Amino acid sequence: MSNSNFYENEYLPQMHKIGKLIGVLAVCASFFPAIVLGLVYGLWPNWSALATCFVSAAASFAFLWFMEPISYYPVVGPVGTYMAFVSGNISNMRIPCASMAQVSAAVEPGTNQGSIIATIGMGVSIIINVVILSVGVIGGQAILSALPAEVTAALNYLLPALFGALFVQFAMKSLKLSGIVLVLACILYVAINSGVFNFIPGASNWLGTLVCVFGAIAINILMNKGKKEA
Amino acid sequence: MNAMQIANSMPMWITCGVAVVLVIAQAVIFVKKAFEAGPKVGLSKEQMKHAVKSSALTSIGPSIVILSGMLSLLISVGGPMAWMRLSFIGSVMFESIAAGIGTGSVGVALGVDELTPLALTMAVWTMILGSIGWIIFSTFAADKMDKVQKKMSGGNSAVMGLISTGAMIGVFSSMVAQRVVTLNKNALATVLGAILMYVMMQLSKKVPALKEWNLTIAILVAMVIVAVI
Repeated sequence: MSNSNFYENEYLPQMHKIGKLIGVLAVCASFFPAIVLGLVYGLWPNWSALATCFVSAAASFAFLWFMEPISYYPVVGPVGTYMAFVSGNISNMRIPCASMAQVSAAVEPGTNQGSIIATIGMGVSIIINVVILSVGVIGGQAILSALPAEVTAALNYLLPALFGALFVQFAMKSLKLSGIVLVLACILYVAINSGVFNFIPGASNWLGTLVCVFGAIAINILMNKGKKEA
Repeated sequence: MNAMQIANSMPMWITCGVAVVLVIAQAVIFVKKAFEAGPKVGLSKEQMKHAVKSSALTSIGPSIVILSGMLSLLISVGGPMAWMRLSFIGSVMFESIAAGIGTGSVGVALGVDELTPLALTMAVWTMILGSIGWIIFSTFAADKMDKVQKKMSGGNSAVMGLISTGAMIGVFSSMVAQRVVTLNKNALATVLGAILMYVMMQLSKKVPALKEWNLTIAILVAMVIVAVI
């Protein structure tokens, strides 16, 4: 009991405080380069053109501002949410790293131990990401243009392979649930791609993940409820 | 000074550096706190070391993909912005679309026309304004979602476990299905990644030393096979 008291009453409240503080600082910091352009070089945007830019960007992305945090929350938890959205690259890097960390530490997602291990996994992935990008930007185009075109083309296939491999890693633990969800997800994406949901704004960007996450949660709970009664 | 000299100037490096330092600081603080909290919730040093190692290995592949995406952004908005945006908040897809919307509003097609200082300014502002919604919502909703989840599960830890396992399988099913239904080389890479991971998992039951390399080996081999075909 003292374990969960420590987690709930000491660890989480402190993380909420730090997470919110860093979130606010991050919003401020993201404006610094724009302000430097103005103060140092006298370059301010054309404000009325910027308003139309904001509207076009919001038309494509505003749903994602809300749907992504809601969809990923059950996967990454409260502390992970603070980290993931300040650092970006969530589905292609933070979630894979958090879940592989849980696998190798042999802890279950959704437990206090699982949440702490996920935090360690995400933190490490953020540091490695920044280090690799920093080396890349200093070596810059010299390094990247030295790569043959075949290599850069091949890199396109790395993320699809990663998602396939991660799916198998987790599917092995609950074959039945994974099978059902995967089949339903394929049907859903065929429907989305053929424009069935075009009446919902920006649906192709966020609908799939949202429905899959909450659908899988619902199916998992229903399946296990049935088991207990039987 | 032309637009690219401004985009790659020292003041830009410094201000973008502030944001990158903030991301690193967050990661270091949260990892440190997690290491302190670990033993108190019954985690061993060994478990936490394994977590660090496997996450580090898993990071390498995606980081290289992000790095190659940075190249296209680097050419269009300069080194500092590309470096900052992909370390902080962003993803390659969002940043290039937002930058394109910004420059387009003053008649400069991103990656086609020569960047003007005004177009650079518009791109920078659009990237910022288009992305702060994620941070603002997630920062202020995280503790509320925590409460909602607890209410939904009624504080029952078995249900919390079902929610998390379900969510995990939902996320990866979504990522896989999205690529498989295209029936192109991306679909092939997804399926091969899955098959090779299965093979590696069976293999590492016999050779436990392989276990932490399962994922890295599976995805690299899948990538090479698809690229060669």
